[in-house]
Amino acid sequence: MLLSLSWLREFTPYRGSIDELSHRLTMVGLEGEEIVRPFAHLSPMVVGRVVEKKQHPGADKLSLCSVDAGTGENLSIVCGAPNVQAGQNVAVALEGTELPGGQVIKKTSIRGETSQGMICSEAELELGQDSSGIMVLDGAFSPGTGLRRALDLEEFVLDIGVTPNRPDCLSVMGLAREVAALFDLPLYKPVLDLHEDNSRHCPDEVQIEIDDPSGCPLYQARIISGCAIKPSPDWMRYRLMAVGVRPINNIVDITNYIMLEQGQPLHAFDRDLLEGDRIRVDRSRPGFKFPTLDEQERELNDQDLLIWDSEKPVALAGVMGGANTEINEHSTRVLLECAVFNPLSIRQTARRLGLHSESSFRFERGVDQANAPFALDRAAQLMSELGQGRGYQGVSRAEPRPCKPVQVYFRRERANSLLALDVDQEYCRRVLTSLGCEVQEEGGAMQVTVPIYRPDITREVDLIEEIGRVYGLDKIPEHLPKVQKSMHHEDADSEYRFLGAVKQWARGLGLQEAINYSFVGMADLDYLGVPLEGRVKVFNPLSEEQDVMRTHLLPGLLNTLKHNLGQGNTRLKLFEAARSFEQDSSSETGVRENNRLALLLYGRRHRGHWPHPEDDADFYDLKGLVENLLGAFGGLEGRFVLHREHPCLEPAVECICREKTLGVLGRGAPDKARAYKARKDIWYCDLDLDLLHSLGSRSRPQFQPLPRFPVVKRDMTIVTPMELAYHQLRDVVENAGVDILEDISLVDVYLPPERQEKKLTLRLTYRHPERTLKDSEVDREQQKLADLLLKKLPVGFP
Amino acid sequence: MSAVQEVNTSLKSLIQEFKHVLDQASSLQDLEEARGAFLGRKGRLARIMSRLPELDPADRPEAGKTANEVKTELGRIRESRKKELEKQAASDGDQSFDPSLPGRTPDVGSVHPVTRVIQDISNIFTGLGFEIVTGPEVETDFYNFEALNLPPGHPARDMQDTLYITETLVLRTHTSPLQIRTMEKRRPPLAAIAPGKVYRRDSDLTHTPMFHQIEGFLVDTHVSMADLRGTLTAFAQQIFDSEVKVRFRPSFFPFTEPSAEVDISCVMCQGRGRNQDGTTCRVCKETGWVEVLGCGMIDPEVFLQVGYDPDKYTGFAFGLGVERVAMLKYGINDLRMFFENDIKFLNQFA
Repeated sequence: MLLSLSWLREFTPYRGSIDELSHRLTMVGLEGEEIVRPFAHLSPMVVGRVVEKKQHPGADKLSLCSVDAGTGENLSIVCGAPNVQAGQNVAVALEGTELPGGQVIKKTSIRGETSQGMICSEAELELGQDSSGIMVLDGAFSPGTGLRRALDLEEFVLDIGVTPNRPDCLSVMGLAREVAALFDLPLYKPVLDLHEDNSRHCPDEVQIEIDDPSGCPLYQARIISGCAIKPSPDWMRYRLMAVGVRPINNIVDITNYIMLEQGQPLHAFDRDLLEGDRIRVDRSRPGFKFPTLDEQERELNDQDLLIWDSEKPVALAGVMGGANTEINEHSTRVLLECAVFNPLSIRQTARRLGLHSESSFRFERGVDQANAPFALDRAAQLMSELGQGRGYQGVSRAEPRPCKPVQVYFRRERANSLLALDVDQEYCRRVLTSLGCEVQEEGGAMQVTVPIYRPDITREVDLIEEIGRVYGLDKIPEHLPKVQKSMHHEDADSEYRFLGAVKQWARGLGLQEAINYSFVGMADLDYLGVPLEGRVKVFNPLSEEQDVMRTHLLPGLLNTLKHNLGQGNTRLKLFEAARSFEQDSSSETGVRENNRLALLLYGRRHRGHWPHPEDDADFYDLKGLVENLLGAFGGLEGRFVLHREHPCLEPAVECICREKTLGVLGRGAPDKARAYKARKDIWYCDLDLDLLHSLGSRSRPQFQPLPRFPVVKRDMTIVTPMELAYHQLRDVVENAGVDILEDISLVDVYLPPERQEKKLTLRLTYRHPERTLKDSEVDREQQKLADLLLKKLPVGFP
Repeated sequence: MSAVQEVNTSLKSLIQEFKHVLDQASSLQDLEEARGAFLGRKGRLARIMSRLPELDPADRPEAGKTANEVKTELGRIRESRKKELEKQAASDGDQSFDPSLPGRTPDVGSVHPVTRVIQDISNIFTGLGFEIVTGPEVETDFYNFEALNLPPGHPARDMQDTLYITETLVLRTHTSPLQIRTMEKRRPPLAAIAPGKVYRRDSDLTHTPMFHQIEGFLVDTHVSMADLRGTLTAFAQQIFDSEVKVRFRPSFFPFTEPSAEVDISCVMCQGRGRNQDGTTCRVCKETGWVEVLGCGMIDPEVFLQVGYDPDKYTGFAFGLGVERVAMLKYGINDLRMFFENDIKFLNQFA
């Protein structure tokens, strides 16, 4: 809401600065968002007096003027306007001034004559439409006076952020009420002086019928005849312009002016375009098409409220008038509507049609029904004064739902306890009265009658807020509460803490956390070939790139990769811990949210150069991270099984932990990776953190006594076919039933150049818990294992 | 020469010989070889000692004593030569050793600045006794709006442009549903914070369609606005700095009454509105204040929704934007950087 200071001062004699006003309003909840200088572009313009006007010697249509602009010497200015005359006060743009259109005035020569400035028209100053001649100003100003001052243009306008609960502050009058209360100033209401034409009686001319009383609690109309449609006087146009409203003509401007001043939206119909003698308020029919005055056809449904004359709809109630009855240059009789509509109904229509007007904005929030008669009369009076019209006697009116003030019971102790204050009864009475409430004391408490214009106050706590707001929330004492906590809510194992621990784990291993949007494009998921089933689509996405909730974290991290490669970052070790989303009818919201951990490795294994080798990260780096994760969160071990079919990883390896699939790891399929500008292998894994959390939390460490006897280590080199997997060897050895075998580790893998077979060297660690082993027993067990391997697998020994 | 004399002589000569051999030794490896030759299981001392049983029983004690003395002396000589050689090795090594060469450095990882701020804030509140709760990001209209005193058609729904999944399912527009979810499950007293992702249908220089919030709330008997002010002032001074000033402005949220917005004195210009060089501060737009969070006393309607008696219980709630705090705290000037994940950006929060 843009508030003009001069307008405010018509209703309350605030004499302070705009900065102070902004601060005080901010501190009572009406945030001063910005101080606007609406006519800043005119500040360099000055008043000049045309001292002499001569014919331009080189051009018939140009005049050569000598102008006193208060600069000392008279200026020579060439002017093409037909209406320029000696003795006039005019608006001058001096050398170096920038016109609103962007043109910079320079000293020039026009057909051989020097011109040291420009005499401006209304249109050139963007103060009106008139470009037929220069603007002629009041003769009283001395040359050199600033144009803004001479035209009495508002210097500052305060932009106030009005919260949705305060519709009363969407008007100058409402803000004046607030300012008067804050600064303890009187409040003036405009005096009505309406001269009606007693020979015509409005209620006889037009009857109001309301078929939908809940949609329209009040409808009033007046008829003003004999109007002359023309531009509004300067003061009104400038005032409207100062608060960002484009002047149209006197009748339309008055409806806007009263809306801004009183908070009551009005609509003016051309009475002669309305058929019959009846105005009806009723719902539309579904599929009905209605042309609004912005020349667009709107398709309506049976919830939209319309204003009808005897034959046809003439306005989309509270939102926008119809093109068919709009005020035009030939209009002489105006039917002025001043109604109150149901906020919900207006909101639905405005939202569905995407048609938000100053009028619908106010109706949605709630208009002061009690003030509507005054607003109508004031508008009618202005139309008589500025439009030369005359109002018919009386008002056509229907009020199926009269408004009743709300009464609220208020206890001072409750206010003091909630606000931690110690204010007395008198203080509360004074504050509430200053805000327009009527207060009746009842014992220690108060019965408070709330004015109609404060629909936000319906309960005691709302009145408490008013006390706090006016007292100043900033002056309330501070106290640190003692938090009562009970031990049985064990939160040490919460989702938040687990995710935090995983993130710290990843950070400790040198990974960097990325955070991507939870939504991706359907096309991203399609491209990666992930299933269509179960996707959760966004109903009203901002763009196609964000139209579905991610079922996998991969698209986000691939985009992160692409962005980084574009920035010249060629080595990435990333992680993201976030939720994936899938349809699931068994979950509370119908969507299953699953915490996932994604890891992505790209480029060199090590940072820097010497002393590190220069090779790139590979599968075993990724697998090592996963194994480390399993160990760190619950001492788990995983099985890693080649997964034949995967849409976007090849190879893809499934990680299985306690017979459950924890996730998959592998290399981004090269054909898909190219779209993300990847030139090297992308190593990626995606794990179910919720599953890891539940598996890990079940295991509690069990102490084992430390071994007291020494180990014996023996190596065994095995020659195997290329395709034989290490885990096959391991399985045989582990399941051989050798009790004294404590550990198996792989110490070497030798792949000969001809690649027909490979050599694996295992280091076997033996230990007996109760005695020192003899060489001979170890030899025996070692031989037993070798025999078993020969028997079970196609292997040999070198 | 008697057998015993012979043995004694050979034993004693070992000392001179060992000294001589050790003087020749130039490395610890040479030393180890010499030790083997003289003191090893099949070394010269052992060989001489193997002859002791051949001696007259009367001579054996004397020869045994000499053998032990020689053994001790050989050990002493070896130790002293070993020290010399070690010292020498150390000073030889100095020449090739360059401590300024780079080390084998493991990578320094990082958590995202958003995570970092959430962790900082969580630590402050858990220190005050708050617990941490989480909830769904795809939320029902009931929890996201209705239960928070935002019935359908309420104009305040316009304050947040919503991304919908279906007519009754939204991407949560704030973390406030966690107030309802937590209170539904529990009875007062309770104090919790709820960090997480939230979503709005808004994207420009100062808005991203996804961002992070932290909701906090405390419910008990006799909670007052002073408790809210005390908690948030302490919080702001811990997360920014102890000199920061805090300002409470009345505002409006449907689920708190009274409601307030909290500003802190601008962290860039220290509340002066102008930078050191006299230019206007862009962070606070010359006002000296920047908005950091919204808060208020929990509205009685909210208590009714979860079955608490509003005459008995009061409480406060607040919600803050994590990216906003991160921008102020770390001086980040472009919101979009948070979700581009450029590692040159991420590295700065290691």
